[in-house]
Amino acid sequence: MSAVAPAASPARLRLDRVAWMLLPAAPFVAVLAAWAAYWQIVRPPAATLPSILAVVQVVGDIAGDGRLGANVLASLWRLLLGASLGILTGVVAGFATGLYRGISEFLSPLVIFFNAISGIVWLPLMIGWLGIGTALAVFVIWNTVFFIVFQNTVLGVQLVPEVLEQGVRALGAGRLETLRSVTLPGALPYILSGIRSGLGFGWRALIAAELVGAPSGLGQMIFAAGDYHRSDIIIAGCLIIGVIAIAMDRWILYPIEQRTVQRWGLITDAEKEGV
Amino acid sequence: MSPNPTMRAATRRRLPRFDREWLKFAAGILLIALVLAGPHLVGMATAGHRLDPALKRPRGPSNVVVVLNFTPERFHSERVTSYGVFAGRDGALNRIRLRMVTPENLAALAAIPWVARIEPLK
Amino acid sequence: MSTAVAPSQVRLISPLGLLQKLSGLKVLLPFAVLVAIWWAIKVGAGITDEVLVSPATAFAAFVRLVTTGVLSEYASTSLRMIGACAMFSLAVGVPIGFAVGVNRYAARSCEGFLRFLQGVSGIAWLPLVIIWLGLSYKTTLAVVIYTLIVPIVFNTMIGVRTIPENYVLALRSLGAGRLRLATDVYLPGALPSIVVGLRLGMGYGWRALIAAEMLVHSGGLGDLIFSARTFNQIDRIIVGMIVIGCLYIIVDRLIVQPIENLTIARWGVLRK
Repeated sequence: MSAVAPAASPARLRLDRVAWMLLPAAPFVAVLAAWAAYWQIVRPPAATLPSILAVVQVVGDIAGDGRLGANVLASLWRLLLGASLGILTGVVAGFATGLYRGISEFLSPLVIFFNAISGIVWLPLMIGWLGIGTALAVFVIWNTVFFIVFQNTVLGVQLVPEVLEQGVRALGAGRLETLRSVTLPGALPYILSGIRSGLGFGWRALIAAELVGAPSGLGQMIFAAGDYHRSDIIIAGCLIIGVIAIAMDRWILYPIEQRTVQRWGLITDAEKEGV
Repeated sequence: MSPNPTMRAATRRRLPRFDREWLKFAAGILLIALVLAGPHLVGMATAGHRLDPALKRPRGPSNVVVVLNFTPERFHSERVTSYGVFAGRDGALNRIRLRMVTPENLAALAAIPWVARIEPLK
Repeated sequence: MSTAVAPSQVRLISPLGLLQKLSGLKVLLPFAVLVAIWWAIKVGAGITDEVLVSPATAFAAFVRLVTTGVLSEYASTSLRMIGACAMFSLAVGVPIGFAVGVNRYAARSCEGFLRFLQGVSGIAWLPLVIIWLGLSYKTTLAVVIYTLIVPIVFNTMIGVRTIPENYVLALRSLGAGRLRLATDVYLPGALPSIVVGLRLGMGYGWRALIAAEMLVHSGGLGDLIFSARTFNQIDRIIVGMIVIGCLYIIVDRLIVQPIENLTIARWGVLRK
């Protein structure tokens, strides 16, 4: 910010504000413009690159005949199942591990290893055990979310300053009371950060899993469209995937983090750096 | 020396940590290099055992049978047949006939660690 | 141990702790227990080889895959791919990130776009890229580069943005030209962030690589384990999975993380 700025008129300031609001749209507009220009000049076959209009039309089509809704719901349902399981098990296991040094030391190498293969690496093995379907996708998501939430929970629990716990204990609080009033709020920023991260990873893992083997869902829709060279459906699907990813992060997770963490005045060390 | 225990501990710990990171980095590069180049080095070291004596000093392109100790997969066949002209199997799936193998390609074949033997084609 | 360090901060799951334990081989104990449990389940529940193989069978498969050169070939393919993509993404992504980060308005406009691209993971674009580039290594290359470059650009941008303007102004006032500014302020200032971006990108990229290899089916560890499914070769799948895990740990903990730590040690505080 410049130290000395000439006094600007109110109209000018409003214009600046509007421009500031609209700036994020600029790259999207640029891409759309380039797409339209390329399409006009080169006229590629529809299978290679459809026109913008074609993509818009196809979105209308699949939304209209319910296919879009069904696939989106299928994917979101799997995400919900897998993520809830992952969060639940992750937090519980995280607390158990974070509180007891012995467990933490023992599990640490295992966690590092299984985190390295979390997600779709389990796919070939699990296809044999769970078949192709919702169970497989839910497993992949659970796997992805669990490790992220688990590690963040352990970190959060361990980072709660012991002084606070000891203080509450000195005042006569029992084990459970300490957990509830000190450890849980203290670890909460990390847990929430882990949940937010885990959901992002989980959504990506879900799409990958559906691409490879699922009877329904957004990933499957894209994959099947590839077989028929329906680029319009693929592009439409990809855009919708991106929109859902952003919407999930912006409108569900960020507000939750705001209401709990920031309202209770907890400071997050793990400030989000990067995507 | 440093004024208090905290300072001493802080300065004491810094250098070893720095060295430890370099050590880890070196170990990592070494391990990856091992995966990437290890088999090739092993193959080159044992190349002498593979070639049949009759093929040791080729004067020009030779016709050979590449013998493997196992049933080749797609990757093995593709690799072996890239060194010459594929001329069918020599009775068994793990015996591959190659014609017109130049001396350079013959040396390269001999340096492959999973090739058991290279015999002259009769 | 200095009393200035809060005890609760010591026992983190950290690479330093891991390295210390390695010297005591304590790190192998949990895995030994795991293998024992694995064996017990396999034998105790009488599971057939088509569902789960025993550790012994898996080890035999490992030996076989190494001596027949299959494992090193497929592993090399994956490693070379991730290495090449990382180099390219750094070479192209960092300059782009700089260019975008330097200007406030450019940064503001690109931030949302980059987040969106991140949301549509590289894997989702696979079917489209397959149509464009076919089922070959080029497709895998494109998808993995896409997956790697977005976090790198984003983090470079953030790194540049968080450099206090005072530093820039100070050097400017001393007469530094553009190039001097770039090398003495921007680059060192953004470096920690860039390396964090690299680390994130490698995490995303490795997973995307495995997934892409599964679908494109032309070499690589993902191809190895996925093809093994067709023939129910559980031993190969398990060996492949373990190798994937080990390789990622080596690359992440022994290569990328040291780079990160060395960069921070040299160039300053990581805003984490």
